[in-house]
Amino acid sequence: MIPAPFDYEVAESVDEAVSLLGEREDAKLLAGGHSLLPLLRLRAIRPSLLVDMGRIKELSYVRDAGNSIAIGALTRHHDVATAPLLQEHNPLVSHVAGLIGDPQVRHRGTIGGSLAHGDPASDLPAVLLALGGEVDVAGADGVRTVAAADFFTGVFQTAAGAKEVVAEVRVPKLTGDHVWSYLKFHRRAQDWATVGVAAVAKRANGGVSDAAIALVNMGATPMRAAAAEAAWNAGGDPAAVADEGTEPPSDTNGSADFRRHLARVLVGRAVAEATAR
Amino acid sequence: MRAEQASRRKAGDPKRLGIGLSTYVEMCGLAPSRVLGAIRYAAGGWDTATIRCLPTGTVQVVTGTSPHGQGHETSWAQIVADRLGYEVDEVEVLHGDTSVSPLGMDTYGSRSLAVGGVALYFAAERIAEKAKKIAAHRMGVAEAQVERDGGTFTGPEQSLTVKEIAFAAWTAHDLPDGMEPGLEAMYVYDPPNFSWPGGAHLAVVEVDTETGNVDLLRYVAVDDVGTVINPLIVEGQVHGGLAQGVSQALYEEAVYDEDGNLLTASMTTYLVPSAAEFPAWEVGRTETPSPTNPLGVKGVGETGAIASPAAVMNAVVDALAEDGVTDIAMPATPERVWRALEGVRA
Repeated sequence: MIPAPFDYEVAESVDEAVSLLGEREDAKLLAGGHSLLPLLRLRAIRPSLLVDMGRIKELSYVRDAGNSIAIGALTRHHDVATAPLLQEHNPLVSHVAGLIGDPQVRHRGTIGGSLAHGDPASDLPAVLLALGGEVDVAGADGVRTVAAADFFTGVFQTAAGAKEVVAEVRVPKLTGDHVWSYLKFHRRAQDWATVGVAAVAKRANGGVSDAAIALVNMGATPMRAAAAEAAWNAGGDPAAVADEGTEPPSDTNGSADFRRHLARVLVGRAVAEATAR
Repeated sequence: MRAEQASRRKAGDPKRLGIGLSTYVEMCGLAPSRVLGAIRYAAGGWDTATIRCLPTGTVQVVTGTSPHGQGHETSWAQIVADRLGYEVDEVEVLHGDTSVSPLGMDTYGSRSLAVGGVALYFAAERIAEKAKKIAAHRMGVAEAQVERDGGTFTGPEQSLTVKEIAFAAWTAHDLPDGMEPGLEAMYVYDPPNFSWPGGAHLAVVEVDTETGNVDLLRYVAVDDVGTVINPLIVEGQVHGGLAQGVSQALYEEAVYDEDGNLLTASMTTYLVPSAAEFPAWEVGRTETPSPTNPLGVKGVGETGAIASPAAVMNAVVDALAEDGVTDIAMPATPERVWRALEGVRA
């Protein structure tokens, strides 16, 4: 379908993007466009103004920020997947960026766009959540930092307001003691996850500590599997309790029951893969 | 493969191997018109071909078939080039526009080559018949003294090509008494019988008994589609048929909710697979000319789609047979496979 008519403005800086967003109640940000354009074409949304931030070159970077790696919001998935700093300090993020969609999607889609879109079936939100990363959000009153745990608030909803711009994402550096895995179950190579699991922990005393497990598409937002994390830390069976507290959707890719089952299988496999790494 | 299948099972590997076979004989090339009449089909089963040997040395072919990706333009040009001694790129195939080609029974049911292609053979025979008369006249010999080899007509002392004869036919300066100028023929071919391709296909799948996921590891297709006009096109037709058939077994499904709403109405929910979902097809063939037409051709468009759903589903059930699974509905989605296993575990 053809989108409803809209006005189009190009922002040359984050400040300009924020100011353009402030001009209209229903303005929307355009970055890589891989989530926004399908919604426009389906007329699921009909913003009267698109603010194109895709040309703000200074928002595309991967930098060492001390204890963390900072990633500019407009960094394409392909660039995240191939960034040497991430491959060295947080291979979980680069690995997962390389699993998103297909090569065309990865060369257009951006990390900021993927997070701001708030799709519970996307890969990177769960990864950010498992890693305890944070997001810088720029608005008219300056920049504020939101923890991953507070960022995802509902289906296609995040803590970033309608007049704000996601500017930077930070993920902690992993050490040699860290183990991780990301498993995605999907029907076709380019499909969203029916269920996905991001698992990360620290080796400790023959087992692990600081276990973090985040689930994809098991509820309205990416969510931590707290019971499974506790079981992993305690040397128990994380798989058996992996679906505790989830509210998975039912759709043509799987019923809620099947998703619960998949979450248990995938958590078991992710923990095994991480531990063997 | 059977050894690996057994050793995986023995080792308790949750990913089982399954091997599935499927053999078939297809009835295609619709159809003798009398048969269609007997089953109260509204139309006949013939098809048409017109060959127009132009004075310029090229040839126009008007076909009643309607190619939409099957490559008739190429294969039909090959048939005419072969039968009448033209180069393939001297043959122009016209189709699909009723102002050019008003008479035809279309492209479906693996019938185009076996009916429309054979019509072309007979139209070429009509061209050759007239060309031979003109050749004999120009050589001043009896028709019986002229031998035809493709598009070359040889008398006791000289040879004429179909291009030279076409030029003579259209200038019409010196034709046999009473002969209509021009070198053009139409043929309406009504097949006396169907064509009967057959084959044997083998699928190897890996079934994840924990997630229900089915991975197609290998697919071997051996078909007999009679005389092959263009091997690359035949392979492409088989590949396309396999993709469609495997997809029917594993991916594509129209799903409705309780209220009758179609839930798979978009390309994100109706799972058309991509190349990433398939192995490299292993395609072989035997070539037994069909006895039902002079080209020896059979249909090919549907062979892959006929054999592959059965081969893949047999492989899926084979992988789970020792678990007690005897049947899974198509498509074998991960959830269906999981539920089938849950059913026999209960």
